[in-house]
Amino acid sequence: MASVSFRDIRKSFGKIEVIHGIGFDIADGEFVVLVGPSGCGKSTLLRMLAGLEEITAGEIVIDSRVVNDLESKDRDIAMVFQSYALYPHMTVRENMGFSLRLRNADKATTDERVLRAAQILNLDQLLGRYPRELSGGQRQRVAMGRAIVRDPKVFLFDEPLSNLDAKLRVAMRAEIKALHQRLKTTTVYVTHDQIEAMTMADRIVVMHDGIVEQIGTPLELFDRPGNLFVAQFIGSPAMNVLPGTLRRGADGAYVEALGARWPVPSTASGSDGQAVSYGIRPGDLSLADSGIAAKVFVVEPTGAETELLVQVGDTQLIIVMHGRTSAQPDDTVHLGVAAAHAHVFDRASGRRLS
Amino acid sequence: MSTRISWRKVSLEARLLLVGIPVLLWTMIPVYHLFLFAISSKDSATSGRLWPKEPTLQNFEIVFREQHFYLNHFWLQLGNSLLIALAVGALTLFVATCAAFAISRLKVAGGRTVMNLALFTYFIPAAFLAVPMYKTMGLYGLLNNQWALILAMVTIASPYCIWVLKQASDKLPLELDEAARIDGASPLQLFRLVYLPLMVPSLVAVGTYALLLAWNEYLYAFLLLSNDTDITLAVALGHFLSADDSPWELLMATGFLYALPPAAIYYAFKRYMVSGITAGAVKS
Repeated sequence: MASVSFRDIRKSFGKIEVIHGIGFDIADGEFVVLVGPSGCGKSTLLRMLAGLEEITAGEIVIDSRVVNDLESKDRDIAMVFQSYALYPHMTVRENMGFSLRLRNADKATTDERVLRAAQILNLDQLLGRYPRELSGGQRQRVAMGRAIVRDPKVFLFDEPLSNLDAKLRVAMRAEIKALHQRLKTTTVYVTHDQIEAMTMADRIVVMHDGIVEQIGTPLELFDRPGNLFVAQFIGSPAMNVLPGTLRRGADGAYVEALGARWPVPSTASGSDGQAVSYGIRPGDLSLADSGIAAKVFVVEPTGAETELLVQVGDTQLIIVMHGRTSAQPDDTVHLGVAAAHAHVFDRASGRRLS
Repeated sequence: MSTRISWRKVSLEARLLLVGIPVLLWTMIPVYHLFLFAISSKDSATSGRLWPKEPTLQNFEIVFREQHFYLNHFWLQLGNSLLIALAVGALTLFVATCAAFAISRLKVAGGRTVMNLALFTYFIPAAFLAVPMYKTMGLYGLLNNQWALILAMVTIASPYCIWVLKQASDKLPLELDEAARIDGASPLQLFRLVYLPLMVPSLVAVGTYALLLAWNEYLYAFLLLSNDTDITLAVALGHFLSADDSPWELLMATGFLYALPPAAIYYAFKRYMVSGITAGAVKS
């Protein structure tokens, strides 16, 4: 187990710089998820940590040793690929034991460690099979087994669940998390799926266009997004964002948007008349007896919750409410806003005002 | 609905048969004549019958016992052919596999250029290169040495084999190499433990190609080797044509024998030439 540090990492492909100076630390045993839209540089960052890409500038440190010039094999890491990358001509047992075989481990040790890893992952019945004889979820587990047999300092996961169907993805998500809780190995996990990030991470690193937008625990990012990008990226359905103007009057601060007054938390900063983006999560809106008027557009009951698409002015907002509603399309309803959970961002810079 | 589909199937197969049967006959007729000659006695060889009156294996006996002037070294020359073909197959495989691995997997700088230059040699017909090749082998002092023929055939076979293997290795997922690197494999281990096993179908195909190319070669063998004890059977068979009254039935019997090893090789290796061995490596 080990800590990992990125120090002002830059990466260029030819003349194009794709990662513009990233630095953060990962504590020993931590599960950190790098998340961001495709092309944000998260996979490149992971591949640099793995030693599969050159580091253009900066330093990567594993366990207080700079690894920039170390070969992948000397970094003591194990990686699970999106495509699994199992050796097709080897059985599950041989796949999992391959790294030990390369290290000339004796057969008894190899067998024992492979068997132990296989038991952890429920693969012990499949050790004699070839990858082509396995289902997607089983292949994914073999790929993980290959990683844990090594007992590496750091686990790297590169979008490991993207190729699985939705149901299996949820199951494997829990499995990976349980595995981490059991082994406590430092883990860096890359995904574009913010729900995966939210559910699995100790801390999330949100990346966008080659920079880090924000680092924090899942709930920190959800409750106090540092900027508009993070606010809209984290959370599903996405946060409602309205362009408006901050007003500070005798009766307190509010945001004027879509011809209505939207309450802001008492902590919000910013000056009177400032152009802002007002953010409110779908779950922080509700139906009330009075307040901002809205027209119901679509009602989507999902059982436990109901999603309402309503229109205020010409802007559509999403409301997620617990339970059910009698509201019908074209009804006029009134919106209740949980002021304490509203977010105000400077419109020009996108930064949080609080 | 189902009947329509099955009718369609039937008519498709019928059309394929209509094309296939004539092509098969067209291919087989010369081989049949070869066989016919081989089992006919000298007198009835050119009688034009579809089956000889008295089929005989005597021709084969003469060949096996080397009882004819042209066949004095039959077994030795057959051995030469075999040795040279095997050597060419093995050497070409070695050269082409290493080259394809370096170009396709290790991405050695300039690798593609080298491959394209090698392929460029095919713009000139091999027959025109025979004289320069003769001169080159003379300079190296290899004339009348079987190595001359082996090296010449490796030269001719390699570019195509490199190209085929490179195309095949490009299809192997790159993640396999990366996974192996992270697992701790050196390039040589990657080559031996991951690359070679996955390339087996292509290697068999390419090796067989080089082997058969050398087995069937006449021109270079004729030019580069002259001793009766060094030449291949193909060249020895060519000598039959220099006589006025050639023993055709013996030529055909020897030719028939000469065609057997390639057929055996083809059937022996056919089962390795299966694709789909990489199934399950990555999800695609």
